[in-house]
Amino acid sequence: MAVQQLDVDNVIEARREYNAGLAAESKGKRVWQFPVLLLLVLALFPILQVTDGYNYVLHLMLYTFMYVAMASSWNILGGYTGYISLGHNVFFCIGGYFSGMILAYFGVSTLITAPLAGLAAAAVGFVIGSVTLKMRGPTFIISSIALLMVARILFDNWHFVGGSNGITLPQLHLDAQWMKVPYYYAFLLIAALTVWTSYKIKHSKFGLGLRAISQDEVKAESAGINTRFYKVAAFAISAFFVGMAGAVWGEYLTYIRPNIFLVILVAANLVLMCILGGKGTVAGPIVGAILLIAFNELSVVYLGSSELNILGTGVVMLLALMFFPTGIIGTLAAKKKLPRFLDWD
Amino acid sequence: MSNVIQIVILGLALGGVYALMASGLTLIFGVMRIVNLAHPVLIIAGAFVTFWLFRLYGVDPILAMPVAAIALFCVGVILYKLIFEKEAASAKYSEMTVLLTFAVAMIFDGLLGWLFTNTQRVTTPSYATDAIFIGDVFIPTGQLYAGVASLVVIGLLLLFLQYTRFGYAIRATTQNRAAAQLMGVNVGLVSLITFGIGIGLAGAAGSLVSFIFSFFPAKHWEWIAILMSLVVLGGMGKLGGVIAGSLILSVIAAFVGAYIGSTWSTMTFFLALFVILLVRPQGLFGDKIEEA
Repeated sequence: MAVQQLDVDNVIEARREYNAGLAAESKGKRVWQFPVLLLLVLALFPILQVTDGYNYVLHLMLYTFMYVAMASSWNILGGYTGYISLGHNVFFCIGGYFSGMILAYFGVSTLITAPLAGLAAAAVGFVIGSVTLKMRGPTFIISSIALLMVARILFDNWHFVGGSNGITLPQLHLDAQWMKVPYYYAFLLIAALTVWTSYKIKHSKFGLGLRAISQDEVKAESAGINTRFYKVAAFAISAFFVGMAGAVWGEYLTYIRPNIFLVILVAANLVLMCILGGKGTVAGPIVGAILLIAFNELSVVYLGSSELNILGTGVVMLLALMFFPTGIIGTLAAKKKLPRFLDWD
Repeated sequence: MSNVIQIVILGLALGGVYALMASGLTLIFGVMRIVNLAHPVLIIAGAFVTFWLFRLYGVDPILAMPVAAIALFCVGVILYKLIFEKEAASAKYSEMTVLLTFAVAMIFDGLLGWLFTNTQRVTTPSYATDAIFIGDVFIPTGQLYAGVASLVVIGLLLLFLQYTRFGYAIRATTQNRAAAQLMGVNVGLVSLITFGIGIGLAGAAGSLVSFIFSFFPAKHWEWIAILMSLVVLGGMGKLGGVIAGSLILSVIAAFVGAYIGSTWSTMTFFLALFVILLVRPQGLFGDKIEEA
């Protein structure tokens, strides 16, 4: 057998072929049918509304979509990069107020201005992120709580946007039967877009860099990753989708007020959804959002008071952290028992 | 001029109480590197113990301090045994403990809110509404007593840390956990007791809080950032630093409150927190902190 001469071109060529092979293989294994099917079913769901009487279900579903979008968005920073923000609802608020004020003064629906609200939130996120992301670990978490407090005081005292009383927004002129449908599609679209972005980021060089930062930031930096830019970009991207969700949510509720957006329970929900489902996985925040909203709804129905709801949320969070710190998806994947339809990574 | 003296005195009295509120937090961080987000809600738990003692048995809030402290000490020991003892081996320990204490904070917030409802409460001993006049300057007796009482408690704590064998062990563990263990300090026991003491201090602070602020369970979220700013300004884990930090910041906040507006006086703490974390993350008196 002749010894094969390996010159440099050959090595690179062979490597490329090998990588292409790996990529093709993993692409073959990847399930795309289930998410697409799910999206299709969800898109067709409002047809049931012709028979009327599904408003509550629609509300729950669009509420879930909103939290899926926000939790997936939080996951881009908190899950991939490992920077846990307890003040992410600040961007929810910024998005809500940005589009809400445009709607109140110029009458342009938030369904149209939502992307702009997202951009506004991302811009603010970029500025705040480039300051606060200098901190690491617990210090960053504390600063994110401080950010929330600062935002609350500012919005409570900003008279142009109505202060702590907030402002009322005009409604769409639609029958009650069809009232929720536009928002349903808006949130479905935002959620799908967020999950798709989250997936794309995870499978990009950018996502690889983010995950390297979460493992060991110093090593990541010495490997040539511009950690500063990566972190701030992740922060801005994750602010973008949260801002979009906030914009539509404000119009859906028909009024905006600081204590809708800037309460710590919203931030706690985002964190908990990601931890429960599995931080740093694509499907994790979705599973977490569905479970937590179901839990909240049941606890409101059976226990009633919102104090018990906070208590229950705390207990679930504590137990999840203590016994399943990698979440449902992470734990199942580690045991190799993850069903294929949930393996979105 | 007397106006300025007035503001400084009010700031110092309040600062004394803040120092007690934050001292447990810094002690716990020093020994265990736990950033205890549940600290403020446990202060409110202490305030509730005092409130019911006052309401049902007429016990003076300052005399109720030891009871609240002991009750909360037990809570602290139980929490440590149940939750934090086994987390010590976790790779992302300090971030993990932040999230765990956040969950604990929600649990107590919900529990207290469910048991006692989220209405404003305050204990009303006779001195809470009195004031002493020295020339033009008036000192509210409630705040004066509270400030003095908290400085006494902090003094006792410092004596305990300075002159007892167990205090040595706590200080040794704060300085270097591994070395302390090698020197034969039972680090596990030290952590347990320190956590208890830290939470006990929260209980004692709660007794004072019960008559100088009105309180309700959900109030603790804004205190988290306030207490953190005090701890961070003094250098995390430095007990002397937290006392200085509290006095400095609350005097500044008093000036902001008097000249700019009372809404913005809490803002002082939050902005201070940002500025300190960015400019000098080790605090005024801290050493260079190692990366978490």
